[in-house]
Amino acid sequence: MPEDPEDLTGIEEDGPSRRDFFSRVGLAACAVAAAGSGIVTLDFLKPKVLFEPPTRFRAGSPLDYPEGVVRFNKEQRAYVIGAPGGVYALSAVCTHLGCITRFLSDEKCIACPCHGSRFDLEGNVIHGPAPRPLQWLEMQVDATGTLLVDTSVTIPHGRIFKA
Amino acid sequence: MRDLSLGSLGSRLRETALYRSIVRHGIADTNRNRSLIIFENLFLHVHPVKVRKKTLRFSHTYWLGGITLACALVLNATGILLMFYYHPSVPQAYRDMKELAFVVENGMFLRNLHRWAAHLMVFAAFLHMLRVFYHRAYRPPRQFNWVVGVVLLLATLLLSYTGYLLPWDQLAFWGVSVGTNMAKEAPLIGEQVRFLLLGGHAVSENALLRFYVLHCVVLPVALLLLLSVHIWRVRKDGGVQGPPEEPEIPERGEVP
Amino acid sequence: MNNLPPIHVVESADPLATPRRVALVRPDIRPAVRRREERWVMTFPHLIVREVILLQVVVIGLALAAIFFDAPLQGIANPLETPNPAKAPWYFLGLQELLHYFPPVVAGVLMPALVVIALVVIPYARVNLTAGPLWASHPGRTAAVVGAVTFFLAALFAAFACWPIVVPTVLVAAAIFAARGGESGGRLRRVLAGVTLPEWIMTWFVVVATILTVIGTFFRGPGWSLVWPWNAAVFG
Repeated sequence: MPEDPEDLTGIEEDGPSRRDFFSRVGLAACAVAAAGSGIVTLDFLKPKVLFEPPTRFRAGSPLDYPEGVVRFNKEQRAYVIGAPGGVYALSAVCTHLGCITRFLSDEKCIACPCHGSRFDLEGNVIHGPAPRPLQWLEMQVDATGTLLVDTSVTIPHGRIFKA
Repeated sequence: MRDLSLGSLGSRLRETALYRSIVRHGIADTNRNRSLIIFENLFLHVHPVKVRKKTLRFSHTYWLGGITLACALVLNATGILLMFYYHPSVPQAYRDMKELAFVVENGMFLRNLHRWAAHLMVFAAFLHMLRVFYHRAYRPPRQFNWVVGVVLLLATLLLSYTGYLLPWDQLAFWGVSVGTNMAKEAPLIGEQVRFLLLGGHAVSENALLRFYVLHCVVLPVALLLLLSVHIWRVRKDGGVQGPPEEPEIPERGEVP
Repeated sequence: MNNLPPIHVVESADPLATPRRVALVRPDIRPAVRRREERWVMTFPHLIVREVILLQVVVIGLALAAIFFDAPLQGIANPLETPNPAKAPWYFLGLQELLHYFPPVVAGVLMPALVVIALVVIPYARVNLTAGPLWASHPGRTAAVVGAVTFFLAALFAAFACWPIVVPTVLVAAAIFAARGGESGGRLRRVLAGVTLPEWIMTWFVVVATILTVIGTFFRGPGWSLVWPWNAAVFG
């Protein structure tokens, strides 16, 4: 073990010197401080309370939706569609880049103006750059029998709500 | 007899104690004074005192770096002026754009200047990068400066993009919506990055405020720091390098 | 050391020339020595005045543009109403055009990331530092490799029906092959023959990016359909 040139006492020591030890502790403390600052800053930047409108909305009575009827709720960006035996809700947000789609009643399909994606009435992609089908949204009835749609909750494709 | 002509006014002023406490060199009539003008000035002394004559030609670098920098200066000045009339809130931001266009003296002119300078800066930065590439001016010892340049290009694009949202019109809103939806597609961190950038789940007043802070404070400071490093390194690497020269090997017996 | 040529000493009367260095070059060693001393000038006024003039020209040019061309301002932002088409700023329109052919992960994240990484790596890749003219060595092998890579790229992008990339790829490849054997031709042919591989690659990238941006800006209308430029929505 070579003698530590800083060691003036002439005593050979095993392992790091006191100076090395304190240097490492100091550097570790700086690293912890830097990491802590970074984490705290990042957490600061993430908003915890958002003033965004509520995602649940009332969609009328199930009797308003005979088969083939499509109602578009613009504020909530959702279609409520009548199907044989029930009702279901589709997100109107195109899965490509988030533009809001439109329902073309003469062609019985949903089209996106941004890049030309087209979807059928079940949300499947007919044509265009959209990578995924439109999301199906959760549907419930409240105590008075009114349909309740929650646009922040998605359900498996094809699950029609039987009223 | 004191000389009272106008021509001597300048030289008499320059002899006053006040002037000489501020300016420590004479007029540029000797090489020493010309050196001191550069050397003693905080802002100018990033330049060397002498430069190679051939680097002054337009065809050496087409002055593209200079054009980019000139645009940055114009953007800084017009941006600060525009800030005096702009509130980064919804819907006030849009009303402020209308106010700038119709009410504020020279408001439209300054806004236009800001916008066209922004487009020119992006374009000039690209051309500058291409010029450096085709002249092979990224070779050692200039490699890291090339990397700094690429980061500067990204900072320029980000500045342009964050500024794009601020008018809060349809063009701004949807242009940024599409862009942040693209960011969401990045694996693992995409959603998080988008949430941080927008301060929420969608482009809203939170997003406007964040983009405003990025555009007016964070990115300009980053650009300034990176530009300083970039220009300093050009100086340290021996000045701008234009078209590459072949080293000439003298014939036997010839004195170079 | 006895049969050296005589050394000529020349004194310069020019106060702006820097002192010369005299190098003794042994006849049996031939380092690359610059034939001419560089000429230096004072920064003030020569460089400073050019910088000031450049700033003035840029400001005047931009001011003229600002007087005659207005920045656009559409209706107030409406999160419920997506305009048709919804276009990004011009420097991102190439990317948006690419989005038409590839999924967002590829066109929006992967490709830009690859481009940035490729740019950053340029000064550290050996090929960029040592490359000579493309056709200078092994022309047969070069032809085979260029042909194979072109075919592969063209087939790959054609599989995605991405013609704005296929066509420039083929055109640049044609230019590469046209450059072969051009050392003895006219000025243009000699310049083309001297282009190195990294320069060809960058040229390909610039051409593709330009064409994508031009299409996205001038040839795309509602629903991102192909339209003539006079029908496309071109915004500043």
